[in-house]
Parts: sequence; C-alpha cells; structure tokens
Amino acid sequence: MSSETGFDPALYARFPTRAPRPDEEKEELAHIWCAPKGWDYLTAVNNSYIGLYYLGTAFLFFLLAGILALLMRVQLAAPLMEVLPQAVYNQVFTMHGTVMMFLFAVPAVEAAGVLLLPQMLAARDLPFPRLSAYAFWAYAVGGLCFFASIFVGLAPDGGWFMYPPLTSKAYSPGINTDFWLLGIGFIEISAIAGAIEIIVGVLRTRAPGMSLDRMPIFAWAMLVFAAMIVIAFPSVILATLLLEIERAFGWPFFDAGRGGDPLLWQHLFWFFGHPEVYIIFLPAAGMVSMIVATVARTELVGYRLIVLALLATGFISFGVWAHHMFATGLPPMTTGFFSAASMAVSIPAGIQVFAWIATLAVGKPRYSAPGLFVIGSILIFVTGGLTGVMVAMVPFDWQAHDSYFIVAHLHYVLIGGMVFPLFAAFYYWIPSISRRPLSDRLGRWVFGLMFAGMNIAFLPMHLSGLQGMPRRVSTYLPGQGLALPNLVSTVGAFLLAAGVLLFLVDLVRNFRFAPGGGTAGNVHDAGTLEWLPTELYSVRSIPVVASREPLWDDPALAARVEAGRYFLPRSATGLRETIVTSPLRAEPQYLQILPGPSPWPIAAAIFTAGFFLALTVQAYGFGLASGLFAVIAVLRWLWESDRRVAAERVDIGAGIEVPTYVTGSASHGWWAMVILLIVMGMIFVMGLFSLAFLWSNQPSYWAPPPAFRGAVPILLLDLAAAALAIGGRRLLLRGAAWPVVAFVLSTAALGGALWLDRGQWAAAGFAAEASGQGAAVFALLALQGAAVATGALMAGYCAARALRGLVTRPANTSIDLTMLFLAYAAIQGLVGALFTRAVGA
Amino acid sequence: MRAWAIMLSGLLIWAAHFFILYGIGEFIGDGFASRLAIAALTGVCLAICALLAAAVMRMPPRDFFGKWRMQLAFAGLGIGALAILWQGLPALLA
Ligand code: HEM
Repeated sequence: MSSETGFDPALYARFPTRAPRPDEEKEELAHIWCAPKGWDYLTAVNNSYIGLYYLGTAFLFFLLAGILALLMRVQLAAPLMEVLPQAVYNQVFTMHGTVMMFLFAVPAVEAAGVLLLPQMLAARDLPFPRLSAYAFWAYAVGGLCFFASIFVGLAPDGGWFMYPPLTSKAYSPGINTDFWLLGIGFIEISAIAGAIEIIVGVLRTRAPGMSLDRMPIFAWAMLVFAAMIVIAFPSVILATLLLEIERAFGWPFFDAGRGGDPLLWQHLFWFFGHPEVYIIFLPAAGMVSMIVATVARTELVGYRLIVLALLATGFISFGVWAHHMFATGLPPMTTGFFSAASMAVSIPAGIQVFAWIATLAVGKPRYSAPGLFVIGSILIFVTGGLTGVMVAMVPFDWQAHDSYFIVAHLHYVLIGGMVFPLFAAFYYWIPSISRRPLSDRLGRWVFGLMFAGMNIAFLPMHLSGLQGMPRRVSTYLPGQGLALPNLVSTVGAFLLAAGVLLFLVDLVRNFRFAPGGGTAGNVHDAGTLEWLPTELYSVRSIPVVASREPLWDDPALAARVEAGRYFLPRSATGLRETIVTSPLRAEPQYLQILPGPSPWPIAAAIFTAGFFLALTVQAYGFGLASGLFAVIAVLRWLWESDRRVAAERVDIGAGIEVPTYVTGSASHGWWAMVILLIVMGMIFVMGLFSLAFLWSNQPSYWAPPPAFRGAVPILLLDLAAAALAIGGRRLLLRGAAWPVVAFVLSTAALGGALWLDRGQWAAAGFAAEASGQGAAVFALLALQGAAVATGALMAGYCAARALRGLVTRPANTSIDLTMLFLAYAAIQGLVGALFTRAVGA
Repeated sequence: MRAWAIMLSGLLIWAAHFFILYGIGEFIGDGFASRLAIAALTGVCLAICALLAAAVMRMPPRDFFGKWRMQLAFAGLGIGALAILWQGLPALLA
C-alpha cells in the first residue's frame, strides 16, 4: 500500500491491540470531557452540545417561519381577506423567506454536520470547537434579534432577495431594510466560521485509514457544502455591504442615475443565491444517501458516481446564477449559456436520485419512518426538479416568472430536497443521541400528514400560477378562478403544520438527550461509525477504518473500540485532544490539543451581534464599543491557544508516536487560514467584478483612471510588505529573536501603499459619492483598508505574544498565520492598484 | 494539491471555460469574433480534457485508493467534456 506522509500503513496491523486496558483510562477521559453544570452550559464547546443547540435553534426558526407561512395562507385562503394588511404581508413573506433560507435551512444542515461529523469520522471533536461555539452563538443571538424586528413592525419588507431600487433609501427610507442587510451580513459570518470548521474537520480529523474512498457520503456532501459556502457567501457579504454603504453614505453602486446599476445587485445576490439552493440540498442529499443504504440494508449503489455528482453540482451550480435574471433583458448569447448550465445541473442531481432508486431496488427496504421520509423526499424533489427544467427554458420562464408557479417550484425543491430529508434524519439519527428513539408509529403519521399536506398545499399553486396569480400579492379578486386553488393550498398548509405538530409531540414524549452515553444505540443496524457506542469524548478508542461500512464488515468492531483496542485509548497528554490525519489517506500525522470550555466565544458573539444591531439603529458609539469588545474577546480566546505541551511526542496507541505540535502547511491552523484567505479573496474578486460590470454597463459615467505610472511605488511597497512578512517567518526559523519587527514593518509598508493609492484617486478628482466608478474604487480601497487593519492587529498580537515568551522557536503557528495574512494583503493591494487603473484606461 | 487538481481537473476546466464564456458574453458581446473565440476555446478545452484523460489512464494505479482516484478523475473529465460541449453549443448553433 502507498503512503501519503511517510507513515507506514503496515503499522495498522498492530491493531486491535491485545493487552487489556485499565478502567482508569476511561475515567480520565470522562473527567477531561466532563458534562457542563449550571451556567457552564453557556460556555460548553463540545460538539455534542453545540451541535444540539444549533439544531434546536434552527428548528425553532423553522417553526417561527412556518407560523408566518400559515398566517400568509390564512390571508390568501379566500379573495379580499383582511387578516394581514398589505404592508404587514410584505414583511411577513420577506421574513418567512429570509428566515427559512438563512436562519433555518443553512444553519440546520451546518448543525447536523457539527453534531454528526465527529462521531461519523471517529474524531474526539472537530478541530476548532470554540469557533463552532462562536458560530452558533453569533447565529442564535443575531438571529433572534433579527426575528424580533417583526414584533415592532420594523421587519424588512423587500422580499428575500431585496432588490434595489426598491430597497434603496429613496423607496425604503425606514430601517427595515437595514435590519435585513446587517442582520444577514452578520449571520453569514457565522456560516463561514462553520464552513471552515467543517472543511478542516472532514479533511484532517478522519479516523486513521479512512481514505477518501471510504469516507461516509454525508462527509463528502458536507465537504462540498462547506466549500460552496466559502465561494458563494462572499458575494452576498459584499452585496449587503455595498447596499448598506449606499443607504448610509450615498455611494451609488446600484443607482442607475449616478453610474451605478441595480442589476449589479442581482448578479451579486444570485451568484450566492442559486448555489445557496444546492448548499441546502447537498447535505440533505448526503443524509438521504446514508439513510437509504441502511433502510435498504445494502451498500449504496454508485458511491463513486455520487461523489462525482456532489462535486459536479458544487461546480456547475456556480454557472446558473443568471437564470433568475432571464426576464431582465440579458444579452441572448449570455442567456443561452445560463440556460445550458441550468439544464446541465439537473444531471448530477439525477445521478443521485437514480442511485437512491437503484439502492432501494436491489436491497430489502424497510418502510420505517426514515424510509418513508426518504421516499417522499425523492418524489417531491423530482417533481420540483422537473418544473425546474421547465423554467430553465427561457421562453417558458418569461411566462412563469414571478408567478405562483415559481412559488410552487421552489417549495417542491426546498421541501423535497431539504425538509423531508431533515425529518428522515431526525427519525434516523435521534437514537444516536437520545436514550429513546422516536416512535416509528407516530413517525409514519407525521410522514403521512406532511406528505399529503405538502402536495395539497403546493400542487394547486402551479395552477394558480399558470392562471396568472403573481407571487407576493396579499390578496386577489374573486371571479378569476383563483379562489378554489388558494383555499385548497391553505388546507394543505394546515395539514402539513399538523404533521409538524405531531412531530413535536413525538419529540416531547421520546427525546431524552444523552450526551454522556446510554443512547438508544444502533437501532437501525447501520454500518457507519456514528453508531459506535459514544460518550462525551466520542469513541473510547479511534478505530482503524478498512471499509465504507465498518460495522457491517466487522460486527465485533464496536466491542473492541469500547475495550480501547485502537488509537488513543486514553488521553495522551491529560488534555482534550484528537488525532490529525492526512487529507487523502487519513494517515496519522500529529496529536491536536483541543481547547476546552470558555466564556470568550459567547462573549465575542454577543458583542459582534451588538455591533451589527447598533449599526442598524444608528447608535454608532455603542456599535464601536461593542465591536471593540468583540475583537478583545476573540483575541482573549486565541491567547489561550497555540501553546506547546511538555511532551513533544506521544504514544497514540500500539507504540505509534506522533508529535504534539506541528507548524507550517501540515497544521490545521494553516488550513483554516488559507480557507479564510479564500473567503477574503472571493470578496475582493467580487469587488473587482463589480467595478468591471459598472464599466461595461455604464460607460457614459466612466472617467479615465489615474495613470499606471503612479502605481509603481504602490507595487514596490506591496512587494516589500510581502517580502518582509515571508522574511519575518524565515527569521524565526533561523532562530532570530525578533521576527515580529519584520511584521510591523510589513504592516507599515501595506499602510503606506494604501495611503498612496487612495491619494492618487482623490487627486484625480474621484469621490465615492460622485459616481458608480468612484464608489466601486473606494469600496475596493476600503476592503484593502480592512485587510491592512487586520494585519496590523495580528502583527500587534504576535508582538504581545513574543513579549510574553509565547512565540516558540524555531517555528510557531501564530507567526505562520500572520505571515500568510500579511502576504495575502500585499497581493490584494497590488492586484487592486493595477486592476482599478486598467478598467476603462 | 496535485492530487486534488487531478481529481477535479474535468470540473476545473469546465469552470474556466464557463467563466471565460460568460466574460465574453458580458464584456465583449455577441458577434462573429466572439463566436469564433468561443468555438476555439471550446475546442481547446475539449482537447485538454482528452489529453488529461489519456494521461490519467497511463498513470500506474498503485493500490485500490489510487485506482479509485484515477477513476474519479477520468469520469470527471468525461462529465467535464460533455458539459463544456453543451455549454459552448448556444453560441455555436444560434
Ligand atoms: C412549511 C410550509 C410552507 C408554507 C405553507 C409556505 C408558504 C409560503 C408562502 C405562502 C409564500 C409567499 C408567496 C408570496 O406571497 O409570494 C412563501 C414564500 C417563500 N417561501 Fe415558503 N412556505 C413553506 C415552507 C418553506 C420552506 C421550508 C422554505 C425554505 C427552506 C420556504 C422558502 C420560501 C421562500 C424563499 C419564499 C419567497 C419569499 C419571497 O418572495 O421573498 N418556504 N412560502
């Protein structure tokens, strides 16, 4: 067998070990990973708790948005009803769509990842537990404050995609829109934090031997999902930032009268918005693939093709964003490209559906509650997919656009593609975290009510749409043939709600959280590792994985894992720890020391929420203070990390030794920083796209940019900054005492370059408020300013650590990461200076 | 990095092809020259897919996982090539 890291795979033959393990090891593990008590529940960071909090909160948002849906359906049950006045209806459909998409669907699947992945990969926890905790609290606090805006009549009312000019200051003068822009901007940060955790977790904390071809399909799906978040979310982060800046300071990005373009918003929004649908669908598809194999009691058919389909969906879904804009008058050739991609993206989804059907066909399916939900999900999703192919035909889309046909289509896709799989997942995985499974009998009723309700609610909407009922209307006139389909839809919605209510009853009756073990166990007789007996420390020992369904292939595995016969049967350092493995073949590389509970993630989240909410209500002083405290809290939580332990190498089982501290590109911190830089790079690239887009669409507003000549000193300073950053790290490798001095100089060079760049644009007569071009250029400069400020903060942080003697030599992770960041900022400054001068030169 | 680049090569080429096509449509516009450029680009991308597929087939599969990776890359190149052809058609046929 080949090796990826130099690790000898023959060493796996030492497992299972033979000698009995002392009971004290288990006690020590239980002590190190002990359950929180009282207020400690707020500071817990263990995935078992954070995952459950996360999922519970996401489900709460599903219920809240569901109540809003019912209100809408009551209003639409008959013509000219007066339950919700028109203005309130606008707020209700906007909040329903926004909450479902941003506060339920994405967080729910992210939560499922945080909850299930460590167990599925047999890791003790994901690599950044505090980041997960931060992501959760930021989402929970921010989301609840955002939702509360509806109780005071300040909820956003421009639809879930918030198109300007409707949402510009001129047409939406209140702060409702700001609630959306800042609230969503903030929740995106939490989604990205979660995505970083999931990517590094899936690629670096798998059980030894779990090479990519043995990875559970859910982990593959979560990997693609998280990578898509990293590429897609920056676009909406930028869009919300630009619209908020336009509203607050009058920079005309989207104002066609001043050289901006409202279509720019649509491009930026949908570059995120359409992949978002797949971001929601892929993890759910991953869940279905896992459940379908167990339900059918056979291996998943077409594992390799499904992996390929997940990857292909991840790519192709980025080529379909403009199909939401067919009615805006795109050039015909461009329309053709997007139409082609929109049809092509249904192929990978089709591959998965056929693989599920084939698995059910070759196996001996059990029609238990999870099985029924899976089958229901396939039927509903395929129906939505077919209407999707219909609207991918441009002429048909022109007819159906903004009608109830689209409302029907999107709900078939989302409910079939995400809600039903999630309910299947509840019935399937709850036994792995609860002392009792949910009731299968009640589950079948829940399924029946939801399936019937869903179809009765949404099937007639195709009809009302084709009859000409536009979406987003609070009422309609009698005598248009719309009353009956609408009444039927309302009845269906309440039937669906009855199903959800029954599920809550089942939950209350049977769900008994058992994070410290004693769960209902492997009631479905599944084959993957999350069904091993677990405690708060996850599995007792981390098995060597030799197949895709280890529990099916080796029925004695669970007993041996429990007996501590594999990797890490005890705590090697007396701290929380997990094995970091290589990304392709999962060969053990080093032992990561995991941080324990801490109040700082929740403090940072509360202050981050305070910052954004204060900006919304224009309490700038409070906002600034809150932002400052958030930064301090983050630095405080980081301060405790990146420390070496006494033992440089430890035995992780059967005499196999690994280091306890690793720096450079092999370390998990390096990976996280690279992903963060991709996020920043994407925000910047979308900023460059915005500039080029305005130039190509508003040429009459374009003025010649400053000459290239002026960029020479800027480039030199940026290059010097990069060289100093890289040199600083080298200094440390050579044992020099003060590498951070180079970082400080690097930051100064970056600041100088930015100052020169800004000065040249100002001297050439450009102003941010004057034109779309000025606004876009100064927005890019502002992004660079944010990068320089962050770089300065990091350099200062390294200096403080150096003063405290925390910068270990010859290599140190904090130094590595600061170097990466400063070098990135230099490249960004350099590219920005050249690109802004090139567009329209 | 190299391993991932090989595994994802078909899809990466599709992405490059798509975004260049979009760039041509958005920033240069329709016209004979654009269509010619699209035809040439589609041809080049298909050729790269074919060359890479041949190279992948020649790579010695060292073990089961190595073989799995190669098969994934090969299938990805196949799907990528089909998607590239499909993506180029609107400009070539219209
Ligand atoms: C549970 C049953 C549900 C019902 C009865 C329901 C009902 C509705 C209704 C009546 C509308 C407004 C149509 C309009 O006036 O244009 C709507 C819009 C929408 N719904 Fe749902 N919905 C449900 C579930 C969901 C779910 C699970 C999601 C997403 C995961 C979702 C996402 C959306 C979105 C994105 C919109 C568009 C909002 C906008 O136009 O800005 N819905 N839904």
